Order: sequence, then C-alpha cells, then structure tokens
Amino acid sequence: MSHQTPSSSNSDARSVAEAEDEKLASEHRSYSQGQLVRRRFLAHKPALISMIVLIFVVLLSITSIGFSGQGTGWWSKSFSDTGITVDGGRPTMFNEGLLGEHPFGQDSIGRDYFAMVMRGTQQSLLVALGVAFASTFLGVLVGALAGYFRGWIEAVLMRITDVVIVVPLLALAAVFGAYAQNLPGGTLTLALALGLATWTGTARLVRAEILSLREKEYVSAAVAMGAHPARIILKHMLPNSIGVIVVNATFAIAAAILLETTLSYLGFGVQPPETSLGALIQNNQNAFTTRPWLFWFPGLFIIAIALSVNFIGDGLRDAIDPRQKRTGASRPGWRTAFGLLGKTTAEERANRPVTELSGGPSQQQMPAGMTDRGPDLGHGPTEEKRDS
Amino acid sequence: MSEPVLSYQDIRVTFATEFGEVDAVKGVSFDVMPGEVVAVVGESGSGKSVTSSTAMGLLPENATVQGEVLLQGRSVLNMSTAERRKLRGAEISMVFQEPMTALNPVLRVSDQLIEALQVHDIAFGRAALEKSIELLERVGIPEARTRIRQYPHQFSGGQRQRIVIAMAIACGPKVIIADEPTTALDVTVQAEILDLLRELKDELNTGILLITHNMGVVADMADRVVVMLNGEVVETGPVAKILGHPEHPYTRRLLAAMPLLREAGDASLGSPRVSVSEPSRSAGEPTHDSVAPALQAKDVALEYSFRRRSTRVVHDLNFTVQPGEIMGLVGESGSGKSTVAKAVLGLLDVAEGELLVRGENMPELPAKQKKALKREIGVVFQDPAASLDPRFPIGDIITEPMVVHKVGDKNSRNARARELLEAVRLPESVLNRYPHELSGGQRQRISIARALTLDPTLLIADEPTSALDVSVQAAVLELFSELQQQYGFACLFVSHDLAVVDSLAHKVLVMQNGRTVEQGSTDEVLRHARQPYTQRLLAAAPVPDPATQARRRAERQRLLSVPQ
Amino acid sequence: MYSYVLKRLLSAVLVLFGASLLVYVLVINSGDPLLELRESNAENADFLIQQRIEFMNLDEPWYSRYWIWLSGVLGCAVGSCDLGTNINGQDVGAMVATSASSTLRLVFLATLLSIIIGILTGIVTAIRQYSSLDYAVSFIVFLFFSLPVFWAAVLAKDWMGITYNNWLREPQFSWTQILIVAGIAAILVPLIVGGSARRRLLTGAAMFCFVLVAMPVLEALNYAREPQLGPAVITAIGIALAFGLTALLSGLKNRRVLYCALIVVGLGLVSYYATFWLLIEPPGGWLSIVGLFLVAIAVAVIVGRTFGGHAKGQAVAVSVLTAVLYSVLVLLDHFMRAWPGFLGLKPRPIATIGSSSPNFSGDFWQVSLDQGTQLLLPTTILMLVSVATYTRYTRSSMLEAVNQDYIRTARAKGVNERTVIFKHAFRNSMIPVTTIVAFDFAGLIGGSVVVEQVFGWTGMGDMFVTGLGNADPAPVMAFTLITGAAAVLFNLIADLMYAVLDPRIRV
Repeated sequence: MSHQTPSSSNSDARSVAEAEDEKLASEHRSYSQGQLVRRRFLAHKPALISMIVLIFVVLLSITSIGFSGQGTGWWSKSFSDTGITVDGGRPTMFNEGLLGEHPFGQDSIGRDYFAMVMRGTQQSLLVALGVAFASTFLGVLVGALAGYFRGWIEAVLMRITDVVIVVPLLALAAVFGAYAQNLPGGTLTLALALGLATWTGTARLVRAEILSLREKEYVSAAVAMGAHPARIILKHMLPNSIGVIVVNATFAIAAAILLETTLSYLGFGVQPPETSLGALIQNNQNAFTTRPWLFWFPGLFIIAIALSVNFIGDGLRDAIDPRQKRTGASRPGWRTAFGLLGKTTAEERANRPVTELSGGPSQQQMPAGMTDRGPDLGHGPTEEKRDS
Repeated sequence: MSEPVLSYQDIRVTFATEFGEVDAVKGVSFDVMPGEVVAVVGESGSGKSVTSSTAMGLLPENATVQGEVLLQGRSVLNMSTAERRKLRGAEISMVFQEPMTALNPVLRVSDQLIEALQVHDIAFGRAALEKSIELLERVGIPEARTRIRQYPHQFSGGQRQRIVIAMAIACGPKVIIADEPTTALDVTVQAEILDLLRELKDELNTGILLITHNMGVVADMADRVVVMLNGEVVETGPVAKILGHPEHPYTRRLLAAMPLLREAGDASLGSPRVSVSEPSRSAGEPTHDSVAPALQAKDVALEYSFRRRSTRVVHDLNFTVQPGEIMGLVGESGSGKSTVAKAVLGLLDVAEGELLVRGENMPELPAKQKKALKREIGVVFQDPAASLDPRFPIGDIITEPMVVHKVGDKNSRNARARELLEAVRLPESVLNRYPHELSGGQRQRISIARALTLDPTLLIADEPTSALDVSVQAAVLELFSELQQQYGFACLFVSHDLAVVDSLAHKVLVMQNGRTVEQGSTDEVLRHARQPYTQRLLAAAPVPDPATQARRRAERQRLLSVPQ
Repeated sequence: MYSYVLKRLLSAVLVLFGASLLVYVLVINSGDPLLELRESNAENADFLIQQRIEFMNLDEPWYSRYWIWLSGVLGCAVGSCDLGTNINGQDVGAMVATSASSTLRLVFLATLLSIIIGILTGIVTAIRQYSSLDYAVSFIVFLFFSLPVFWAAVLAKDWMGITYNNWLREPQFSWTQILIVAGIAAILVPLIVGGSARRRLLTGAAMFCFVLVAMPVLEALNYAREPQLGPAVITAIGIALAFGLTALLSGLKNRRVLYCALIVVGLGLVSYYATFWLLIEPPGGWLSIVGLFLVAIAVAVIVGRTFGGHAKGQAVAVSVLTAVLYSVLVLLDHFMRAWPGFLGLKPRPIATIGSSSPNFSGDFWQVSLDQGTQLLLPTTILMLVSVATYTRYTRSSMLEAVNQDYIRTARAKGVNERTVIFKHAFRNSMIPVTTIVAFDFAGLIGGSVVVEQVFGWTGMGDMFVTGLGNADPAPVMAFTLITGAAAVLFNLIADLMYAVLDPRIRV
C-alpha cells in the first residue's frame, strides 16, 4: 500500500474539495438517520427481546378478555363474576391440559384470576400510557416555552415546576389520585391527573435541550431570517430533540406502571369495581403464605412490563443518543465479556477486506477516536465515546 | 547526524468501527533526530495525528497498530503496558491542541505539575514544588510562586498551553509530540508559544514532532517536513525544499491554497488577487449620497447580560458599509467582532447607539417592518456541522427564507433552489439529501446558497471558512467572491485570519477588547498599519516561506521590544 | 456565599408556600370527611359531626381554613408551632414528634447506604465496562427500577425475615448451601478483580476453596449465634486494610503512606483496649460513640500530616479511611459481643413489623441491635431503587469523565491507571452525581410512604396515607411541609457539595 501507483498518486493530487464533490455526484446514498437508529436498535438484543415480550403481554391482555373485560375475547370468563372456588383456588395451568379451567387459579370469592390479571394488565397499561402521554405533552410544552423565551416566562414556569417538584412525587401523585376519585371518567381521568404530577422531569429535560439548541447556528440563522418563534420551536427545535423526548417518554411509561400499581396498592389509584395489578397485590398480600399464586402472577406481570419497557428505553437511547454511541463494531460477545476471548489479532484483521467508511452518518465521520484535527487520545479502557 | 531519537517504520493503523474496518494509516515511515523539528502536515483525515500517537500508546482500544516505532532504538510497540507508561512523560511527552480541556479542572496546577515529577521519581514534596515553580517561570507564567496554587480555569488559554508545555518538559524528555499546539490559539499567542517551543528545543536538545495543518507554522518552526494525504506520506524533505520547490502535485496545491497576506510592493497588488468588481446594479463608484449605506453603525455599544448583571463588550463602534462593499472585521478572540455580527442579525439587543440597515435604525423598528428588513440580510455562520438543521432536506434549507417571508409558491421556490445550487456548483440531486451526507465545505456552500435565497443587499459572514481545511477554504472563498460579483451584495466579513480578509475585503476594521483600533481601506490597514496593535497582529501571522518568516520573526521581536 | 444561601432559602420558602397551597386545595377537595359520620347510625352522630366540623374548621370557606393552617405554621418562626388538629382532634404537632424520628432514621440510613453502595458499584462497573459483571449489574439495576417496592417487600419479609429467623434456631449449613455459596463466590470475585483469564481462574479457585473451608469453620464456632472478632482478628483485618487501601489509592511503592496506615492500625489496637470498658455501657449512648469516632478521624489526619512526608494528601486519605473502617470493626466487635444476649431477649431477631419491638428493654447495645434488626428489611427494600440510580449515574458519569481530554493528559504524563481513575476521573465524575442526591432524597421520602405501609410502621408515611384517605388536610400538610423542607435542605447541601467539588463555580 505504501508503493503508490502513478494513477493513485494522481488522484491524490486532487484537492479535497474536488474529491468531495465527486463523491457526492456519485449516487452513493448513505444511511438516513432513521435507518441508523433502527439498525442500532435492532442490534440491541435486550431491547429486541423486551419488544417481543411487551407485544406478547399487550396482545394477550387485549385478545383474551376483550376491551370490556367481560369475556368478549377468546377467554370466556369475566373478571368480575364470582363463582365456586375449586380445589382451594389453585392454578390449573399445566395440570389440566395447557390452561385448564382457571390457569391462574381463583381468588377467595371464586373469581377467575386469569381474567382478573388480564383486566389489571389492561388498566395498568392504560394508565401508564395515559400518564406518559399527558406528562410528556405538558412537560414538552412547559420546557419548550421556558427554554425558548427565557426572561419572566421562564422564571414563572420554572417556579411552578419547583413547586411541583418539592413535594415527593409519590405523595403528590397520591394527592392527585385521591382528588381524581371524585371526578367522572374513571381510569382515564386518573391517568390525566397523574400526568399533572409527573411532568416536571420532562419539562426540565426539554428546557435544557432547548437551551442547548438555542446556541445552534441553524436556530440563529432562522431567528436572523425573521422566522416566527412558533416555527422555530415546532420546525427546528422539537424535531431535533425528538430523540431525547421519545426516550424519556419510554422511561416515563415504565415509571408510570410502577406509580399506578403503587397508588392502587395504597388505595389512591384505580378504584373498585375496576381492578389493576397493584390493587390485586394489595388485596392478596396476606395470602402470600397460603395461596402465593394470587401474589405472584400480578407481580410478575408488573415486572415483565416495567422491565421490558425499561430495556426498550435503554435500546432507544443507545440508538438515538450519540453521546452513548458505541463506535466499535458491536458489543463484545459473551466470551469476550468473560475474558475468555481476546481481541482479534492484527494479522487476522489485516487479511480481511477493507470496507469503505462512506456509509457513516456523516461522510466526514472519522474512525473512532479521531476528531477533525487529530486523534482523540486517551480512550484506553473504554469504548463509549463523546460525540465529537 | 547521530541516531534518530524517534523512528516510525512502516506504520499501519486500522480502526474497527460500526461500519467495518477503516485504514487510517497505510504504511508510514520517518525519523526525528535529536534537537530537530519535524513537521507532519496534512488536512483532516490524513492520518498525521494517528501516526504520531502510536509512539505514546494512547490510541483507543479499537485501533490496531502494525509496524515498528523505535524510541532511542527501543521498540515501543512490543513493550508491556508498564514499560510504556514509564516512557510516557519521561522520554517522550505530548502537547495537545485544546489547552482549555487538557488540564484537570478540579486539581490545582501545582498538583498536576508535581504529579508529573513524582510519577517518574524526579523530585518529591517540597523539592517537587520548587521544581514546578521553576518550570512555570521557565515557560513564562508571571508570579509563578503564587499562581501555582490556582486552578486551571484561572489562567488564559495561552497560559494553559504554557502549563501543558511545562508538564511536557518536566522530566526532560528526548522528544516532544506537539499535536496542533497552536491551532486553538490567537495568532499573537501562537507566535509566543512557537517562540517558547523553539527556545526550549535549543536549550534541551529535544526533538520535536510538530503536527500541524498550517504551512506558516511549518515555515516558522520546522527543519524537515513530512506531507501526508489519506494515510500515506506523499513527500518528505527539508523545509526549504518542500515549501520552496515542492515536487508532489498535492503539496503544490496545498501551498497554493494557503491565503497569503501580501506585503507592500507585492506584484499582485495592482489588481486584487481575487478580483472584486463593482456590483452590477450600481454602475461605477457606489454613490454615497443617493443610496443609503447597506449597513451603518453609529456609536454602537453592545452588552451581554448574565443574571441581571450586564457586561459591556463593544464600545463606541462606528463604521459604514456601502452597497456592494465587503468590510472585513478582524480581531482576536474576545475582541467583540462576532458580537457585532450578532447584533446586526438581531440576535442581540443594542445597548446604545444606532444600527442602520439601508438607512433605517433596525433595533428600533416595529416588529413588522423589522421582519421585512430582515429579508435584506443573509447570514453564513462558522460551524458547518451546526449551521444547517439536520432534520431538513437541503432543498427545504435553501428555500426556508422564502417560506418564512411567504415568497413564491412551491414551484418557484423549487426553481430558486435549483438556481442557487447551480450557483454554488452543487448537483441538483442534493435537493433531497440531508446535511449529514455532505462534507463541511459543501455544507458551507449550502449556507451561502441559503443566505442568497432572497437576494439580500447585505450578507453577514461570521468566520465562514475558519473550520475548513485550507484547500476547501480556498474553494469556498473563490466561490464567495464570484457570487459577490454576480449578486452585488454588501458584506460584513468577520474573521480572525488577516490573509483571508486581505483576499476579499475592500476595507478593514480592526477590533481589540471591544474597541476599534484602526479602520480604513484594506491596503491602508494591512500594509501601512499605523497602530502598534495592528502591526503586532500583522507581524504575528506566519507565512509559508522559511526565509521570509525568519525575517518577519526578527521584525516582530523588534516590534515587541519597543516600549508601548 | 451567605447571600447566595440566603437567596436560595428565600425562594425555597416561596416554593414551599406554593406547594402547600396546591396540596391543601387538592386534599380538601378529594373527599367528604363527614361522609362516614353522615351514614353512621350512632346516636351521637350529630354531635360527632359538629365536633368534627369544629376540629377541621369545616364551617369556614377553604381560603380561611388554609389561612388558619398557614398562620399556625408561621407561628413556628416565633417558637409556637401549631400544625392543626386531625380529623379526630389529635394535635398533629404531637403526632409528628412521635412519627418523624423513625421515618427520618429510615430515610437517612437508606440515603447514606445507597450512596456508598451505589457509587462503589458504579465505579467498578465503569472500570469493567462491557464485562459480564457490567452486564449482570446492568440487568440487576434495571430489575430494581422495574420492581414494585411493596411486592418486593412481601418477598423480603418471607425470605429474609421468616426464613432467617427459622434457620437461626438451629444454624447449620447443608453441603448444598456451602457449594452454592462457594460457586457464587468463585464466579463473582474474579469478575470484580479482573485481570487475565489465568488470573481469573486462579482467583476463582482460591475463592472456592476459601468458602469451602470457611463456612464449616464458622458453623463449628456457632458463629451465627455467638459471633466474635476479638482484637487479633480486628488487627489482622486492619493490617490487610492498610495494605489494600494503600495499594488502591497510592501504590505500595509509596512506603510513607503505608507506614501511616499501619501506625493508624497500631493506634487503633491501643485504643481498642483503652476504650473497651468505656464502651461496655457507653455514657451518652451514640453521642460518645460518634465522639470517639471523630477523635479517631482527627488522630488519623494528624498521623497522615506528620508522617506523610511529600505524599501528605494521600497519606491523610488512606489513614482516615483506615481509621474509619477500623472503628467500624471495633463497633462491630462490640455488637457481636451483645448478640448472644440479644438473642436471649428476642429469639426471632429480624422483624417484619413495626419500627421497634414493643416493651423491649436491654442495655445500650441490645437496644441498638433491636432498632437495627427492625430497620434491616425496610432499609434494604427502600434502598433498591436508590442504589440502582446511584450505580447507573456513577457509571455513566465515570465513563464520561474517563473520555475527557485531561485524562489523556494524565495518561500522557505516565500516570498509572489507578491514579487516573481515583485521582483524576473520580472527583470529576462526582460533580454531576451530587445533583441527584437531592432528587433521590425526595424519592426516598416518597418510597418511605409505601415501605411504612408494608412494614406496619406508624411513621409520617402512615400519617400521610391515613390523612389523605380521610380527606383530612392537617396531617397531609404536615407531611408535605416536613418532606418539602427536607428536600430543600438536601438541595442546598447538594449545591454546596457541588461548589466544594468544582472549583470553577466557587466565587
């Protein structure tokens, strides 16, 4: 490679500008941002598995008992009908065929526990989505206004945020939950009320994001050309912070699941006759030693949902947030992780075909650890990189 | 000559990335002799820094290095980690590009200097402190004894770079790798730091491996030059030969692309090198009485307010830019030149005075008229990575001013975008691409296209080429002056680079600490400067010719020795 | 600085005022406090209703009720607090006085422990990024984030509480248990220690054998019921600590630091005997123990400064850490001495209900042990989320710091990895972590509401839940006020910590 052929030395002599233009003229498309995000997300194994688990849980809860919860799906039992307790309400799953009469058993008054858990899952998911949606909307609104306009608008909005933050979240949510009990609308009202208690984190995050976007030159350019603030916020700032917002909203869903179950456990969440996963645990916690399945099933569903949503959020963040970007080929496999496999040797690498780098998110993107003007040294033991 | 102190032999570096493996360096060999300065030059992506860093063993983990690096005859690459660590700082040390981030912000300067000494058992305790104070004095930090107790943020950028150099020479290394040591600094500070490095080299007989993209710095410092392109060495030789009689076409192009500050009596002065003719719409001299100036500042003062405390950063500014005229606004960092640009763009309120755009005091206008006036102003910013919205396709970026001012329909906007792309010499297919698919130079051209969308009478260019490589900069500047001829806009051209301003501007205003130092025609200010500050600024800018640069250096020393 | 603190406190008062108004309005509109009485068939229902209206000022409009509450609270400024009365006419101030101490004890302990554990785990996972340890910890962190606290608490009660208490009656290890523990140790320890594959295998094997020998020995000594350390073991551990801390923080090459640490251990042994009889029944309880602890730190500082030589800073750090850990060992020794007697008083030590055993009396050590065993499960449960937060934050903050330019400068100087991590990266990475301390504290107070419910404590959380259930504002407002004030306080502390860590924002 060090011996140059005359032709290559000729092409080397072109100015960088010309070479770049030539490259652009060639119809070589690089990855779009969306493709990159998808690609990185799909490479994130825990997130992918979590996605499958979550879709399974959602489909299961909806198809089994239907939206009404009265056995309108493929599971014919209602979550509220009482009956005769058979065999102490023991689960029949795997005992009598695959599911049996009561796969998750029955509670003390003979209700089918599978239908109840499915109904609880539906309600908990509904609240979680509602809370996440409401709090994200409110948080983005407050954060964007405070971050863009500064001055007294920011001062007032951030003081309001402080007022909400100073009360412990769970306590405030409980107060809002108790307040929502008197309002019509049931579960959805509860979700919106809880959204009023949980928007502050998003607001602070979005404000910080908007503040940093204000310093971007493309925003300055839009201001200089006389664009209306609404246009700048909606067209330039929010689309560029969508990654942060989406990741945050995902984590908000997971937090809201736990918040709802906790409130229902305390008695300020979903009210009877409706049920939720938290309420099921609350009703049956004393049965732990005698009929543990009443305790285990709703708990495991909560964990399955919250855990998979959290992992999806993690995968999204890795895929979207360039600061968390891995610049290495991929995460090391388990053997490397256990230290049983070294890095590929230099010889092995040298024998592999060389791939071009033009497909990166930027044609100027340097190999890992290099910035425009030289290498970024000192990344010794880590691979996680700043976005340079 | 004796044995080389540092020798690179057929170095190859490969990075494993998300998109496969990338060869950053493809078989590079060169030597550094004791007491010699070897400059490695090249544009970004040439692999110059990666090559040099292999000697320190500090490349990221996804890098694979092949070949041989000999430090005083010992192979560095085959050493154990512990052995290498003993070499770092003691035998070979490094000066980095960014002095602002190179020092640990939470540790005192004394701690960081003493650590450098203690790690290699040079001195301990009180003795180490004394030695550190000596080092600080040696690199020219005043009141070293008291200031050594301070934290890095209490020093200026130039002083921090001096501290980094003090650390680098603490253990008397045989060779120093200086990676773009002056790129982040102002020209006058750059000249001082280069002087310091030169003195230290002579005093300690240390070899210096200087990595730079600036041919002026090469001419000022280097004994030998290695020119790199795309991970390979294209030419190497003594400095006089490479800069005077380059053989390789790439080297020639690189030298030709360097903007030059012409001296009085330069042959090209008769006709401006990049010719700037009069605007097409007004024939002959801009008529000062009938047409209002494109931009005029009357006793303008500008302030930044932080937590209700305002700091005045620009005082008593007066200037006039006639239609079709380019005015260069030059100064070092902190001079307030970019603040002026911000104020003209309406990004900052004017604290005092009047800022007239086409005869109307823009800050005082009601919102509607202000917006209408903004049609007349286009802007090009410095950072190609940040000046285009990454979520917008190029077509939308170029037509955004039309959308904002509700000009034209979809078809006419599209036609205008094509027209402008043609003008900045980019293919039409770019319309549907996103900024991340373009290079820095291409993005700056899109910025220019966007600025011209509404045919403005005034263009504000805030350091539009300072983030670009020299050859790209040359292409963008050439395009810029052609477009200026074609569209005839007036321009406020903000830059720290006197040579760039020289190649474009009709007149120049020099600022320092928020005040005007000198203004006049380009020829007056840059070739017959009256103010000592302007003279110092001019003298500090290095030129890519070793002989001339040596003369200029002597001239500058003389200037500095004259008491102010 | 003072004006800054003052300004912060002033705005905090305003914020608290706003928050109290918000909560008050929501609570009084969340239900009808008279509903239960209106439906009751009791003969004196009318009288009870009248009484309750009087307790809660229900005949007044909402703003004047709020004003009555607020003026009572403002009375605190002049020394006469009136937090109002609850639905049954009890004085809320008195309720707070009895309930606050147990809640705050729980929350402070959980905060302190989760900071220590979380930061340590975070550093280890950052250093071993992408190791299987890192993956395992990441998974556990996500699991903690996804765990309903009340659900985990029920499990902990059963598994940690009841099972342990049952086992303690006849403490014996089966060979299966021993093998499992040995296997876990053989996998976990090499992952933390790291190194080459060969070194890991050796460490693993050594750990396996160690556990295989240690557990039967402990069993033979009946350690679970009669644990002891004694001066010999303490000193041995102390010397190991001296070597280990020196190696970790400054390197064994640095003899002066090592000598300082060893001197501290020597002095510790002397003080062990000197204070032995004093500590049998310490006068003033915890006060004298904290006093002795401070003396130990002071002595360590003096030792470090006197004998540290040129490495004074490191010598002081290592000496103080050695002294702190040695003191903890001595304390542990005294607790262990009290353990058999304590078991006599309370045969099932790990409690699952209440904040202290009713009618328990014993000497200082036994009372402390009782409180400790009551605290054990609630604290553990409360800590889960916080530990996860601190771990995650410290890890990413460390990784961020390690990628900074000044770390590269330090490496270019020839500084070894240990110093790079602990001297250069650690302090910088702690700067962003301080900001979450305040947030996390507020979260813990919220968590304590649930934990108190599950473990049947009559703390502030219980007061809050009961009050809210009855639409009874006074107890809810007392809770809001105290937790809000605590949150403000922690915010301020975090800000000051920030200033201490980061010289750039000091003025």
